[in-house]
Parts: sequence; structure tokens; C-alpha cells
Amino acid sequence: MTEGRTGLRLKVFAALVAFMFAALTTRLWFLQVLAADQFRDIAKQNAVRLIDIPAQRGRILDDKGSLLVTNRVSLVVTVNKQEAGSHLEDELYRLSKLLGVPAKELAARVEDPRYYVYQPVPIEANVGKRIDFYINEHQSTFPGVEVVAEPVRVYPEGSLAAHVLGYLGQISPEQLKDPAFADYRPGDEVGVTGVEAQYERFLRGTEGVVKYRVNSAGQNLGQIGEQQPVPGQDVVLTIDTEAQKIAEESLNLGLQYAHGIYDSGTGRDLSANGGAVVVMDPATGAIKALASAPSFDPSLFVRSMSSGEYERRFGAAKGYPLLDRAIQGLYPPGSTYKPFVLLSALRRGIVSTTDYYPCPPSWAVPEDPLHEVFHNWTTANLGSMTLAQALYDSCDTVFYPIGYEYWRRYYPPTDPPIEQIQRDLQAFGFGRPTDVDLPFEQEGRVPDAAWKSVVHKRYPKSFPDGRWFPGDFINMSIGQGDTLVTPLQLAAAYSAIQNGGRACVPHVFARAQEADSHVLHSWHARCRRIPFLQAQVEYVRQALTQTPVQGTAASAFIGFPFSQVQVAGKTGTAQVFGQQDYSWFAAMTQAQGKQYVVVALVEQGGHGSTTAAPIVRRVIEGLYGLTNTQFTAGGVTD
Amino acid sequence: MDVVATKLYRWERRPLRHLDPVLLISVLALGIVGLITIYSATHASLVAQRIDPGFFLKKQLAFVTLGIVVILVTASFDYRFVKVYAGIVYVASLALLVLVRTPLGTTIRGSQRWFQLFGFQLAPSELAKLALVAMLAAFLSQLRSSDLSLQDLYRATAIAAVPGLLVFLQPDLGTSIVLLAILVGILVVAGARARHLGVLALTAIVLIFGALQLGLVKDYQIARLTAFFDPQNDPQRSDYNRTQAEIAIGSGGLLGRGYLKGTQTNLDFVPEQHTDFIFTVIGEEFGFVGAIFVLMLFALLIWRAVRIALLAKDPFGTYLAAGIASMLAIQVFVNVGMTLGIMPITGIPLPFVSYGGSSFLTNCAAVGLLLNIHMRRLT
Repeated sequence: MTEGRTGLRLKVFAALVAFMFAALTTRLWFLQVLAADQFRDIAKQNAVRLIDIPAQRGRILDDKGSLLVTNRVSLVVTVNKQEAGSHLEDELYRLSKLLGVPAKELAARVEDPRYYVYQPVPIEANVGKRIDFYINEHQSTFPGVEVVAEPVRVYPEGSLAAHVLGYLGQISPEQLKDPAFADYRPGDEVGVTGVEAQYERFLRGTEGVVKYRVNSAGQNLGQIGEQQPVPGQDVVLTIDTEAQKIAEESLNLGLQYAHGIYDSGTGRDLSANGGAVVVMDPATGAIKALASAPSFDPSLFVRSMSSGEYERRFGAAKGYPLLDRAIQGLYPPGSTYKPFVLLSALRRGIVSTTDYYPCPPSWAVPEDPLHEVFHNWTTANLGSMTLAQALYDSCDTVFYPIGYEYWRRYYPPTDPPIEQIQRDLQAFGFGRPTDVDLPFEQEGRVPDAAWKSVVHKRYPKSFPDGRWFPGDFINMSIGQGDTLVTPLQLAAAYSAIQNGGRACVPHVFARAQEADSHVLHSWHARCRRIPFLQAQVEYVRQALTQTPVQGTAASAFIGFPFSQVQVAGKTGTAQVFGQQDYSWFAAMTQAQGKQYVVVALVEQGGHGSTTAAPIVRRVIEGLYGLTNTQFTAGGVTD
Repeated sequence: MDVVATKLYRWERRPLRHLDPVLLISVLALGIVGLITIYSATHASLVAQRIDPGFFLKKQLAFVTLGIVVILVTASFDYRFVKVYAGIVYVASLALLVLVRTPLGTTIRGSQRWFQLFGFQLAPSELAKLALVAMLAAFLSQLRSSDLSLQDLYRATAIAAVPGLLVFLQPDLGTSIVLLAILVGILVVAGARARHLGVLALTAIVLIFGALQLGLVKDYQIARLTAFFDPQNDPQRSDYNRTQAEIAIGSGGLLGRGYLKGTQTNLDFVPEQHTDFIFTVIGEEFGFVGAIFVLMLFALLIWRAVRIALLAKDPFGTYLAAGIASMLAIQVFVNVGMTLGIMPITGIPLPFVSYGGSSFLTNCAAVGLLLNIHMRRLT
């Protein structure tokens, strides 16, 4: 072979190698010069992790600053169904032994519909360190199970004011679509009811974020930046823990007491299955206590619940304890309505404070071919009386003719109809929300002709006749018929009387403040004048002072020191079809520079004086620090 | 000729006078680049494990020192002895390749290709590369005709096919590719006709298809190759390797992120970074400029090898040098190409730079032989 030919072949060889190097260089040029910026960004993302720091949720305090709701870090056992997969059953069995909860129950809790399939479900909260260690040491036998330290809500006063405080839950899919929850993510906790829901915006705070450097294994190599979370603001309520305790205790004592009282109407002891107490400052609308029975333990909501357990704890058998009867319960007001009916009648010139009115045992509608007869609550003829006495003795037969007069003014119907009593009752806030700062308030009902014809068309079975009759006005005059109010509405209306005709929107919020008590938001009182003469309002209030002294509540207030505390009030006995009577008492007090409106309602609690009045008396004694008389037996007057 | 002149003439022709300094310097430079980048690739994770951050650096320094000794040894004796013993070395290398498949060999990551000896891992496939170069050079250099007949070409192919298959079965796809490249490189220089090489390529393609059909190729090899051709479709980690390597090199940019400052490198995102993926450290920390500098060192090295093939005084020397040039070039191309995402991922180290003794010492022996041929071109 010749040198030349080998040289040529080596050149071919060298060309092949040169081609390889050219390919490498071209690719390097692309990666490092043309696409370098992209790759540098990716490298940066690779090495940085963002971790959210949850903001500490604000606490909830009472009017004196003592804690009602605070936070604590709790060990929570969570199960991720997807990660557990086919091991779920075995796993729940082992967890059941570990946690001392039946496996069936755990299996049902895992199915809690409030959580998505891919989300870890908190099946048990407040577990011990021992369980944490055990599960972590045996991680391989617990796939999808984690023990996480999470801040949970703590209630130092237990179930006190549970309905007012409310509880937290997972944010719902509907809420996530709402622009008001734009910065929430699935799985976030959000206030579901009560103050927790109403003042979510103050309580929540703003999440922070930490930037960490990480290696390929995700190990944290140190912090490279952070934005501190802004803790939620503390919400201070108008609720007075002491008043709340007295209200709840008195309500429960009243219910127990009623259970032992024989009801001649039904031939059974009173069921007294639920009730509510409202304590309000009439001058400002500040709610000092808001009790609803039966109640519940809000700390149950820190973990998941099976639908069976949910039903067992919060269902019909327990009397729907989640229902806040003070703002969501709708009841006919009965005779507690009479002061407002009377003020309307005075305003419209139907009656006069200087005249006397007969109080026979019954009253028939004049010129009525059917001779429909309306009875007083007592069969005795109480004779002739002033309007004041008609109030404190609660004479129905004085009010029937008043109701009938509204019919005469209404009929024949004009356009617009003349419905003076409805307008006046609405002026007191009936039939519309009080605008209390608590969610899911019911607005009650002030019926009129238009309403009746609409509901008849919509629910012909429940409302078989759509026509408006004289009896509708007559029933309304004693707070019966289709009239419905909430205990809070009634308290707000009595507050207007106590306050000389100035009605204030009831509220539980006092202020929102930072942890160092720096106030950021305060409640601005929202009050309005009602269109009644102050003298007439005062006449009614004065009349009501006689109710506990010589009127229908006298038996419940025997021995009460009226010289120390002035009490005005009105009993109510509401008839509900197919049930025992509902017991009402509304009171206005004034002493020691403090005034209160106290309203009590007991479902199937009998006469107003039987159950509700003794409850209110005990609350008043507590509010003013009077010697407590245990539980005073009431009478059977209206 | 007087005595002085004769003495001068003899001195002039002494081999030591004819060392190739450019070759030596380029190899030394690559070794130093290796030391620098191995430290960068390993110190962070060593510190994290509370081990001396210089652990790998020190071991590689030992290999470099040993490599210099190997270069001196392989350069000292006359390379023509290699032609005499090529057959024995070749058969011995085959024996070792068979032996490593017995329980004497060690399996690492699913591949049985090492002997565990005095705490070192020895890969017989490294020796097989050099043995094949020597055997092919010896075989082709003793042919009388200046042009290769098809028959000779088949014989040469058979010589390469035996170790090639043994290595492929380990499985070690990368070394198989290197052996194939050595064959092709030497055949080109030895004068194989383009038409014959075409036939050879066709045969190879048929064989590869056969191997795939018969299931001789491991799943992970197929996965790696399919990941290369279709990265979106790969569930395996090989795609991760590829992506992270590209991010490392790409993020280096023109001038690099600075020594020990590459996040991809220091935070351990690129796997096998001190061995097969060492080039990503260079790319990330020294940028385009640094990467081109290293590629130029390799180009220099291969240029010197080709030059030595041209200068060699006998065909054996020419083929030996060409085979070595081929061996080095394909390793650089496959290794760097893999980190740049233009070649499939195979376990081939970057010559003189990657951490590891077997490969480094084999390549040193090859360089020693190159020097040997160069030194004795006149004697």
C-alpha cells in the first residue's frame, strides 16, 4: 500500500470525526446560546419550592375580652382513600384498634361527603403522641395514612354560645366558584355558620409563603426568601359570657321543669323539646346572650363524621340542635304581639287610652251569618277595663274588635289595599330580617291578602283557601293565624318600645382587633325612629310594667324585688296546630343604669306564665345579681 | 562519519526525543478538567452525607498518577511487540469477558460487567476495546493486498463480533457501539470499499432487528432507546436524566454559572454526574466557552492520533493509531451527544474526564501506545 492512499483514507476518517464534532458544537450552540434563558428559568424552578404558611385564624372573644374560640395545634389522623387503595379495609381495622373507634365507624367517616376522593380525610383529631409515633414507625403498613399537626379550633367554654360562634368546614364547590372566595383553594377551611362564617373576612388572615432551595430529592437546603403570613384579626363580640351562661342554664332548667308539668289540653306532660332566649341591650341593639336549645358541641367539627353519626348527633331524634332557634325558628307570637297591635290601633285612631273596653269570655263577628265565635283565654268575664289592663291581663276579647275594625277598613279591597296593621307591624321589623350579623336568619311573616292568594296557588294543600277573611285580621290581633316571628325579631321590637320608639339593628359584633388589641373595625350602630307617638309607646311600656306585678306573669314573679329592678313584660301562649302550646315571655328591664330586653320561647312549653316567664325571671335575677330563687314555678295564665 | 556525528545521529533518533508534547499536554489538561469537575459534581452530596468532600477527587488523583505510570510503561517497550502478542491479548480479553459472566463477576445495576478486585472494580470490556484494536491492526497489517477483499472484511468483522456480542449480552450497549466504531474506523483506514461497508451496515441492521425480535435486548435498553426517539412517551427515569442534563447544560449559557455555582449540579438534579454525565458539569458551570474548550482538547487529541497514524512507519502502527483514534472519538461523541440529547443514553464515560479507574487507565494505555508509535516512527 502507498502512503498517499492511506493519507486519503485518514482524511476520510478525519472528516467523519470532524462531522461528529460539528454536530456536538451545533447542539451546544442551540442549548447554551439560543435556548439558555429558558433553561435557566427551568433550573431555577427546579431548585426552588414555595411552601404556604397558613395564617393563624383570629380568635373570638366576649365583650370583656375573655376567650370563646381560640386555636391549638392538634395531631390529626388523615386517610387518603386513593393512596390507601385496596389496603383501606385492613388499614381501617388496624386504625380502629389503635384509636379505639369501631372500624365500621371509621369506614363511614372516611366516606364523609364533605371531602373529595383525592383529599385526605381527617378521621380523628386530638390523638396522642404515641399514635403519631406508632403510625410513623409503621408507615409501610399504613399507606395513605398520615398524622399531621394542624391548628384546630378550641372552645374554652365548651358548647357555650355554639350557635353564635358557629364552626368551620371544608370550603364547598359552590363557594369556590364565588368571586368572594377567589383566593381560596379546595380543602381550605372556611366558617360555615355563625360568627365564623359572618366574619370570615376578619378571622381568616392572609397566607404567607416561604421559598426554599431544594435538591433533586426535595430536601430542604435552606430558606431564600419569605413573606410572613398576616394572622387573622380577633373578633370581639357583644356577647357577655356570664349573661350567656345564665341564659343557657335558665333555658335548660326551664325545659327540665316543664317536662314535669301536666298539660290538660293533651293529657300529657309538656314536651318542652326546644327553646330560645335572647338578651339584648335595647339602646344599642347589642346582643348580650343568644341561647338556643338543644345545643351542640362545636369541637365535633374538627374531624370528619359519618352520615350515621351526623344524623345521630344532629338529626330529628336530637331535635335538630344545629338549628339556631333564636334567629331561625319561626313561631306564632301569640299575645306577645298585642303591644304592637295596640300601638297600631292607637296610631290609626281605632282605640283611645282614655276609654274603657269590655272583656267578655267570647266575642262573635258582627253580621256574620256563620256566627263564628272567638274566645278569651279565660272563661271568666273580666268586665270593663282600660287598654293598659287589656295588655297586662292579656284580654283577647278586647283585641278581636280591633282586628275586625281593620277588616272593615280593608273591605271591599281597594288598589292598593288598605292594610294598616300590616304596615305598622312591618315598621316594628316583623316580616323582614332584623339584619342581625349572623347568617341564615329567617324573616318571619306578616300575612296579607296578596300573600295568602299566592301561597294558596303554590301550596293548595297547606293553604286550602286563598281568600282573605275577617278572621285573618282578628287572628292577627292576638298574634295567631299565619303570623310568624323569630325570638330575635320579637326582642328587637320590644327594644324599640323600651327605647322610646328608636329601633336598633341587633348585632353580636363589637369590633375586630389585632392580637395587641389595636382596633381595626368597630360596629356602627344602625338605629331608626319608628312612626309612633312617643307618648303612646310610653303608655304601652307603662302598662306592661303591671304584667309581672298584677297581670298574667304575677305568679311567676312572686317575691321579685320590683323596687330594685323594674320589669315590664308580656306573656304569650301560641297555639300551634297538632302540638302543645308554645310558651313566650318578653321582658324589658331597667335598673342600676342598665337596661335589657329578655325574650324566652319554649316549644310546647305550655302557657307563657308556665315556662317562659320563670326562665326570664331567672335570667333577669342573674343579670342584676339578685338573690337567685332557683326556679320559680309559674302559673297557667296566658 | 565521525564518532561525534554518529553519536549525535543516534541521539537524534532516540525515541525519547520524539515524544508528542501536544498529545501529552492535551491528555493532561483533560485529566485536570476531570479532577476539577469531579470535585464540583460530588462535594455537595458528600458534605450532606458527612463524608470528606474531596473523597472522589483524591481517588481520581490516584488514578491520574497511576495513569501517568501506565502511559510511561506502554510507551517504553517497542509497540511492534503488541503485534506479536495481539492474538494472546485478544484471546485473554475474550476469556475475561466470558469469566465476568460467571459468579466471579459482579452485577451492578442489572449489568454483570465488573470484577471486584482489591476494592477496585475492573471492567474487562475496557481491556476488550484495546485488545480489539490491537487484534484488528495485527490482522489487517499482515494482509498482502493493499485493497481489502470482502472475505478479509468478513474475517475482520468476525474478530470484532465475538467481543462485541459478549459485551452486548452483559448488557453493555455503549461498549458494543465503541467496538463497532473501532471496526468501522480501522476498516476505513485499511481501505475497505464503500460498497463493502454498505453491505456490512446492512448486515448489522438485520442482526440488530433479529436481536430485538429474539428478546436479546433488555427492556431497559429498549426503554432508553425509545425514550430517545420519543421522549414524551417514556415513563422511565432515562427521560428524567436526559431532561435534567439538558437543563444543566442549557442553563450554563455562554459563560457558565461559575465554578461550584451550578444549581443543577450542586443540588443533585443530574444523576451519575461524576461519571457518565460529567459533561453537564462543564456545560453548566463553564458554559458554552468551557464546553467548546473541552471539545477542542478532544479534537486536539484525536488530531494528534490521526497524525500519528499517518506518520507511523508501518501499517500496524497506522491501524493501531487509527483504531485508538476511532475508539476515543466515538466515546466522546456518544458521551457528549447523550448529555446534549442527540444520542441515546448509554453507559459510556467521557475519556480522561469521567470518574473511574478502568476507563481512565485503558485510555492512558491507548495514549501510551500512540506515543510509542510516534516515538518509534524513525527507528
